[in-house]
Amino acid sequence: MNSVAVSSITAPWTDDAKVLADVGLIAREQLAPAARRIDEGYYPLDIMASLGQAGAYAGHLDQHGSRYGLAISAMSEISRHCGATGFMTWAHDVCGLYMEQSGNPALLARLQDHTAGLTFGGTGLSNPMKALTGIEKMALKAKKVPGGYSVTGTLPWVSHIAPGQYCGAIAAVDRDDGSRSHEIMFLLDLDERVQLRACPEFSGMEGTSTWAVPLVDYFVSEDQMIADPARPYIQRIRGAFVLLQVGIAAGVIQGSIDSIREAEPTLGHVNQYLHNRPDELQAEFDELAGRAMVLAETPFDGSKDFFLDVLDVRCQGAELSLKASQSALLHQGAKGYLMNSAPQRRIREAHFVAIVTPAIKHLRWEMAKLMREEVPA
Amino acid sequence: MSNDVQEWRQYLCRACGLIYDEEKGDPDSGLAPGTRFEDIPDDWECPLCGVTKTDFELFEKPLVIAVEQTANFSTEPGIVVVGAGLAGWAAVDAIRQLDQQVPVTLVSACSGDLYHKPELSVAISRGLDKAALIQETGVAAVKRLGVQLMAETFVVGVTPELHQLRTTRGSLTYTKLVLAQGAKPVLPDQLPPDLCWRVNDLACWSGMQQALAKGPQSIAIVGAGMIGCEIAEDFVRAGHQVTLLDRNTSPLAGLLPLQASKRLADSLSGLGVTYIGNDEISGITALDNDQKQIQFKSGTTLEFDQVLAATGLITDDRIARHAGLDFDRGITVDADTLQTSQADIYALGDCINIEGTPCRFIEPIKHQAKTIAHAVLDLEACVYQHSAPVVRLKTRSLPVVMNGLPLAGVDWTLVYEDADELIMEQRLDKQVIAQLKVGASAHNRAA
Repeated sequence: MNSVAVSSITAPWTDDAKVLADVGLIAREQLAPAARRIDEGYYPLDIMASLGQAGAYAGHLDQHGSRYGLAISAMSEISRHCGATGFMTWAHDVCGLYMEQSGNPALLARLQDHTAGLTFGGTGLSNPMKALTGIEKMALKAKKVPGGYSVTGTLPWVSHIAPGQYCGAIAAVDRDDGSRSHEIMFLLDLDERVQLRACPEFSGMEGTSTWAVPLVDYFVSEDQMIADPARPYIQRIRGAFVLLQVGIAAGVIQGSIDSIREAEPTLGHVNQYLHNRPDELQAEFDELAGRAMVLAETPFDGSKDFFLDVLDVRCQGAELSLKASQSALLHQGAKGYLMNSAPQRRIREAHFVAIVTPAIKHLRWEMAKLMREEVPA
Repeated sequence: MSNDVQEWRQYLCRACGLIYDEEKGDPDSGLAPGTRFEDIPDDWECPLCGVTKTDFELFEKPLVIAVEQTANFSTEPGIVVVGAGLAGWAAVDAIRQLDQQVPVTLVSACSGDLYHKPELSVAISRGLDKAALIQETGVAAVKRLGVQLMAETFVVGVTPELHQLRTTRGSLTYTKLVLAQGAKPVLPDQLPPDLCWRVNDLACWSGMQQALAKGPQSIAIVGAGMIGCEIAEDFVRAGHQVTLLDRNTSPLAGLLPLQASKRLADSLSGLGVTYIGNDEISGITALDNDQKQIQFKSGTTLEFDQVLAATGLITDDRIARHAGLDFDRGITVDADTLQTSQADIYALGDCINIEGTPCRFIEPIKHQAKTIAHAVLDLEACVYQHSAPVVRLKTRSLPVVMNGLPLAGVDWTLVYEDADELIMEQRLDKQVIAQLKVGASAHNRAA
């Protein structure tokens, strides 16, 4: 099932410190100068390939020792310099997670190239994750056909995809009477059958290559199947899925604190009057990161308490991103308000962390649902 | 009916949430105001996300039920009290008696309405419902007391170093934290939560009350402890057919000596309660006719309209674990100050453990609240003096009163016995440690 596959790989990224140093170097020297361009629309596959070679997308995989702490730290290093790329790193990481946890030999055969950043793929699970918990309806419908399924519907906003790439997707399978039978999860190959449609312009993070994906009778073969039925599979990986997102928030927070500290030598005498000073933010961040690292030791813990803890750190990460990014702009003043400044970009990145699925409101909704006592109907 | 008089409808884009309003049309893409959805060409695209007509569905405005909140989230939370049961409200009340200004925020998983919880176990036979039991709504009480209420809000995490409390409605920074989270029913795996009622809070009790209001029903009460016995009498007096189930031979066997337990069994039986002891439940399943079937380890099965679990209480350890509080079946507090093992965090009521024992009685709560109010306001200490509370079983047919703390394994001595009354004592080193009175003799009652 999980970890038996592909033992032939000799993992090249065994040293956590080296991976983090290499990833950090690429982030500082390549990503940081490109951050504005990426924010405006440049899809940085070249830099993402280098990050893959450095091991940024490997840590969390069973094949590479299930080092979730490393994966989160690497994502954080990336996000610290460019939130958009941090987000795409998460998408790429969970896509790798889907492939590996599928146990499907056809997908496992593709995993090595994915992990090394030779091929790229994202995740179209925003809608299904909300649909499975009852927030909205499932966008894709699947019908059983010989040798697989036929899928129709439109996924509105999927990031880190392009023609020739791929993403995880979930479709609902309904019975003839219209009732829900189950859901399937598959790797959606964006080949000649799929015409990606441009999305309206976002206020930031435009380089995430985000598209609408319309499918009409798209045939899903056995080789693409991640899970059938999908629910037990999602139940198993959802903790890991959400926990990894903490890496995006962590980078935005740490980057914001960096910006605050940059301004101290020249503006410290007036900045002392501001709320959310760097030491205070750092203390809250360190405590949060510490908790995330403990959770990263057991990403597949299926207990309710564990998932609540994961949702809690994810939610706090989003809240702290908002607080820290706003504080960074206030600390830098006019300089932080310049169009090419990191603090103003991070304001939008932080808001992205707060609204991307699961958004703060979804997280709180889900936590309340989990904590409410179940009673007879 | 012609199309002209049909109301304008709205259609929701399942992909992005855009609403197409027939009345307004979509002039930008050539749909004049008043264009009916069915008249839209098939190649029309959602102006926001580009999906086609087939991804739209009729939009009917959902009824949004939002909880009335009195919390103003930009106001300093101040002292934060978690739990709006008797203990939480007692703490708020005690704080307000000493200080009318200090900001206080009450965080409650329920609506925060005030009611007297012990009444729940006698309310069905009195024909009461939720509305009758509510003494004051939470919203009215916070206005009266000048505090903030975060209703229907769950605590998910606490970080004492930062004085931070994280909830499902956002994070709070507290000056002092008072935990009055209560205890929750323990449900063994054999008792599925979707099939078994519990009566530990008003909301859950109310669900059961509504189910019972439909008419006389057969009810299995699992667990013949204090709550199980009280409820059994309550239900049978209300005209229901009650079966009380327990592992032990007779009710309240864990607390009472055999003679007393037998008197209670006779009394319940006299009221019409069927007692089934010496058997354990192996599972419960819902039948097609909505009845619940209970399977026993002995192989027997029985069917009931309703099942109620009275299998004891447990304190949830989530908050304690997050906050790093010492915990042993309850949040461990200092017996004098009721402070937990962390500075600035106090606890009272059903959730605490005093000197190794959980304490789940009403009487001590107001004293605990007073002690805590003095502490959180940094006033001169008001030392809490714990004493074993008097336990009274609200079984009208046979009152049971226990003074002191009985110990398992210590013999009970008979003090007095007649047909209507039994008085017994437990002695340890010639000291009476517990006294039990079951029933009341005609003579005593007249006196």
